[in-house]
Amino acid sequence: MKTQKKGGAVKWILITICVIFLAVFLILPLIYILSTAFRDGISSYIKAVTDEYAVKAALLTLKATFFAVVINTIFGLFASWCICKFTFRGKKVLSTFIDLPVTVSPIIAGLIYILTFGRQSFLYPILDDMGIQIIFAVPGIILATIFVTFPFISRELIPVLTAQGTDEEEAAALMGANAFTIFKNITFPHIKWALLYGIVLCAARAMGEFGAVSVLSGHLRGKTNTLPLYIELLYQGYDFTGAFASSSILMIFAIIVLILRVILEQRGKKERG
Amino acid sequence: MEIQNSSSIELRGINKSFGSFQASKDINLTIQGGRLVALLGPSGSGKTTILRMIAGLEQPDSGEILIDGKVVNDVPGSERGIGFVFQSYALFRYMTVYDNIAFGLRVKRVPKKEVDSRVKELLKLIGCEGLEKRYPGQLSGGQRQRVAFARALAPNPRILLLDEPFAAIDAKIRLELRSWLREMITRLGITSIFVTHDQNEAIEVADDIIVTNEGRIEQSGSAAELYSSPRTPFVVKFIGNSVLVDNYYEFRSFSRAEADTVGVIRPEFVEIYKTSEDIRYSRSADEGYVRDIIFRGSSIEVKVDIHGNLISAIRSINDAPLEIGEKVWVFVYRMFLIGKDGVRLVENSALRENSIVI
Repeated sequence: MKTQKKGGAVKWILITICVIFLAVFLILPLIYILSTAFRDGISSYIKAVTDEYAVKAALLTLKATFFAVVINTIFGLFASWCICKFTFRGKKVLSTFIDLPVTVSPIIAGLIYILTFGRQSFLYPILDDMGIQIIFAVPGIILATIFVTFPFISRELIPVLTAQGTDEEEAAALMGANAFTIFKNITFPHIKWALLYGIVLCAARAMGEFGAVSVLSGHLRGKTNTLPLYIELLYQGYDFTGAFASSSILMIFAIIVLILRVILEQRGKKERG
Repeated sequence: MEIQNSSSIELRGINKSFGSFQASKDINLTIQGGRLVALLGPSGSGKTTILRMIAGLEQPDSGEILIDGKVVNDVPGSERGIGFVFQSYALFRYMTVYDNIAFGLRVKRVPKKEVDSRVKELLKLIGCEGLEKRYPGQLSGGQRQRVAFARALAPNPRILLLDEPFAAIDAKIRLELRSWLREMITRLGITSIFVTHDQNEAIEVADDIIVTNEGRIEQSGSAAELYSSPRTPFVVKFIGNSVLVDNYYEFRSFSRAEADTVGVIRPEFVEIYKTSEDIRYSRSADEGYVRDIIFRGSSIEVKVDIHGNLISAIRSINDAPLEIGEKVWVFVYRMFLIGKDGVRLVENSALRENSIVI
């Protein structure tokens, strides 16, 4: 009983610390964003949100996120599959490289692409001849977004696939199942929730990406400005209502993602249990 | 149950390495159709590798695998007519018991009706009727093993391979499942090979035992053969509850052979007498001191110190009780001597003299 009481005290102290921490670092700023966004009344909020450039920025963000998620899902599946199901030389190196974007500053990622595809690169004339522009254009933004988010899906999948082992796949293969049947009936049901969860994380990160995109975008209003860049631009121009109103759009995206995440986690748990 | 054809298996000069680790060294073996064979050896001795090569899950570096006299090295595992039971069972955890058993048939595009009747037949065989809608996670260890067994049998294989089939089950049910599996396999008459590191399991379940060690086959034969005439030092030490004795020549009535010889004494080679008991070969018995007494339920194991060696012996529950520290007479009937040129069984010379007298 005594230890339980002690545990109770510790429990409440920890809960209080967490709540205060979250309140200071998360809830307060969120409230501040909303209150600033609505400072000049609802009509100016709506005006700021429906501004042509704000809408374009939001659409570009969604577009970059969409491409990043699709490409990273495919890449993430392949990468984690080959890391978990096969043994080969350089496997450790490969899995370390997958983690690289997490440790490298996004600014550096942006600069890498400038060096690779910019005017000073030997690739530039070739791409230019083909009419492909990467730097200061939408492809560059998508490229940067893919780079910073590609570990998210494989990082979710690798532990699940490793825990599963290869026995079930081997058993199915011995019974004559082909690779597609094995993936569809045995591997996919197992990684389904982890994959969706990885997609959600990847999307969340893609929408908020600032650094790498900032280097590559060139800040062309209405053309290469994503939502985070647009917010920065408004803020630098002392348009606080506009900046915070646009932030609230990003916030709504984030909340949708958060809700999806909770639902997915619950579903995944239920199915496993 | 329809009568299954059972295939014979032959391995010729098989070598297999994983990186620098040589898992199989010149493996040669023949298994007749319909036999139930155990691959017995310590972990890392290469027994699972042999099983996986027969199944086509690993490719040998050199040598030939023959099933029914045909080389199958280039035949994929799924076309070798093999059922495989994995150590972890590898049941498909997102499929019901029914779907698990039906999987192999559906993959082979067997008509739905036939699948249904075959699955029901197998469920009945393994005594798991009524569990078809359960998921593997909702089954006990024993049930899981039975389902894995049924799943492997569903497509009518001619060879059944089982990798450590009892390793993941608790002791009590393990004994039950052993006899169940033996009965099942004998009834089906299917050629079966199972891997185990437990000699009791191998002895109880298998017709023949193949002993592996460090990638080699040490000896194969029936349990009785392995017990009575082990051919290699490893088999002598591995089979039975053996104690190694360096100074075997200090035992009475055993004389020194070549220089670097080691004696091996098993509990069944030894008899213990209290000093008050009558002893037939008193001149040939050694003096020992009881160091430990372990109650084994149906018998008593006694550890006796003789010439610095701790020898195990078995005493009946009905014998007069011993005490720790008590001085006893120990008569050693025979022991194995491991020399440079193999293994010999040496009888106590008192027995020989006696037989001459008689």
